Amino acid sequence: MHDFIDLLNKVTPDLWQGTVVTLQIAVVSLALGMIVGLPIGVGRVYGPVWLQRILGAYLTLFQGTPLLIQLFVVYYGLPDIGVTLGRLQAAFLTLGLNSAAYQAEYLRSALQSVSEGQMTAARAIGMSKWQAIWSVILPQAVRLALPAWSNEAVAMLKYTSVVFLIAVPDLMGQAKILASRYFAPIQIYLIVAVFYIVLVGIAYLILTLIERRTRIPGLTGDAA
Amino acid sequence: MTSPILRIEDVHKSYGSLQVLKGVSLTVQPREVVVLVGPSGSGKSTLLRCINLLNPPTKGRIWLEDQEITAPGVNQDRVRQSIGMVFQEFNLFTHLTALGNVMIGLVKVRKMRKHEAHDLAMFELERVGLADRAHYYPAQLSGGQKQRVAIARALGMDPHIMLFDEPTSALDPELTGEVLAVMQKLAAEGMTMIVVSHEMGFARQVANRVVFMEDGVVVEEGTPQQMFEQPVHERTRAFLRNIMQ
Repeated sequence: MHDFIDLLNKVTPDLWQGTVVTLQIAVVSLALGMIVGLPIGVGRVYGPVWLQRILGAYLTLFQGTPLLIQLFVVYYGLPDIGVTLGRLQAAFLTLGLNSAAYQAEYLRSALQSVSEGQMTAARAIGMSKWQAIWSVILPQAVRLALPAWSNEAVAMLKYTSVVFLIAVPDLMGQAKILASRYFAPIQIYLIVAVFYIVLVGIAYLILTLIERRTRIPGLTGDAA
Repeated sequence: MTSPILRIEDVHKSYGSLQVLKGVSLTVQPREVVVLVGPSGSGKSTLLRCINLLNPPTKGRIWLEDQEITAPGVNQDRVRQSIGMVFQEFNLFTHLTALGNVMIGLVKVRKMRKHEAHDLAMFELERVGLADRAHYYPAQLSGGQKQRVAIARALGMDPHIMLFDEPTSALDPELTGEVLAVMQKLAAEGMTMIVVSHEMGFARQVANRVVFMEDGVVVEEGTPQQMFEQPVHERTRAFLRNIMQ
């Protein structure tokens, strides 16, 4: 027991550093995924057919291949065509584009579940199609997508761990280094697992709070 | 003789091979209240959606005042703004309060300042007797209240004419009265209205004209008295006899 506490004291500073990197990757990738995923989701539902096809191909590409292969292609493959990214940049880009595909799909199904009457009523008071999408449909769809989006955010916290394979010093990367430094892989991976659980728990709390704050009677299922 | 506010000339509407409107002509004078009746599938709702260009006609022409709104190059969004529409299913914006529902068009379409829009929206809600429900969400309102908010939302756009598509059909019987009362008040204030409805009491009291449609054409039209007491066509007689029972 004494040994374990000793070990904990030794590894915690490095694991904190790793946690910061993990959080950074998760937040940046989610944000990038949102910026890219929102127009994709809208385009999938309201865009012209040729655009829907192209976006569909993007989604198939990112949802149909392993994240790890995507990461390797971005980090090791892109330099061949003259695009060399740093480790962190490659992590942001890969996870961001990957998350965009999933976020777009959550948004698409939310957009499709907003009843057609909402669009009709918006057009009837003189809104253009895009005005109606922006001011009437999206505010509802985003709220409807929030529970699925929360799952994506939590999953992202864990997906980030693949980046240790391109030697990014995230929580997982630190764990690998520390495990071999102290010859105590099981203990260290268990400690790291606890770190992830705490991160996920905090994320759930924050997201639940957001869901509660943005809730509107009648929109997300629960009546007044 | 004043010039008509709405003139519909030989309007056809097809969806693929399905012909819903087969040449409808109708002229509406300012301040007139026209009640459209007819069996379901006769094209009444389609006609309303043609008038405000939600589903533009496949053939035929429509004038709103001096403007031919079916002409190519017409700004359809602008046309819709000046034609108020009230739906059977209310279609209130779920994420906005009653006040927000009335305000959004004022801010986004009429480009009014927030506080001006707020004041006008409150005035419109007061007109339908719902100022005290301004901060309720649609899910917190009764069906009749929702429909009155929908009317206020349409009125806020300052429409030249109002279209009502079976405004009371989705309501429990005890809630239809409050909606019809608001519509009657509007009519008394001089609003031009086309109402698709089977509320024959309303048609008798408020309508200047009753138009009977069947199979995508106007079969017969006349004053409520003519239509209810001495309809010319057998089909009109049969239909009215049916819904009066």
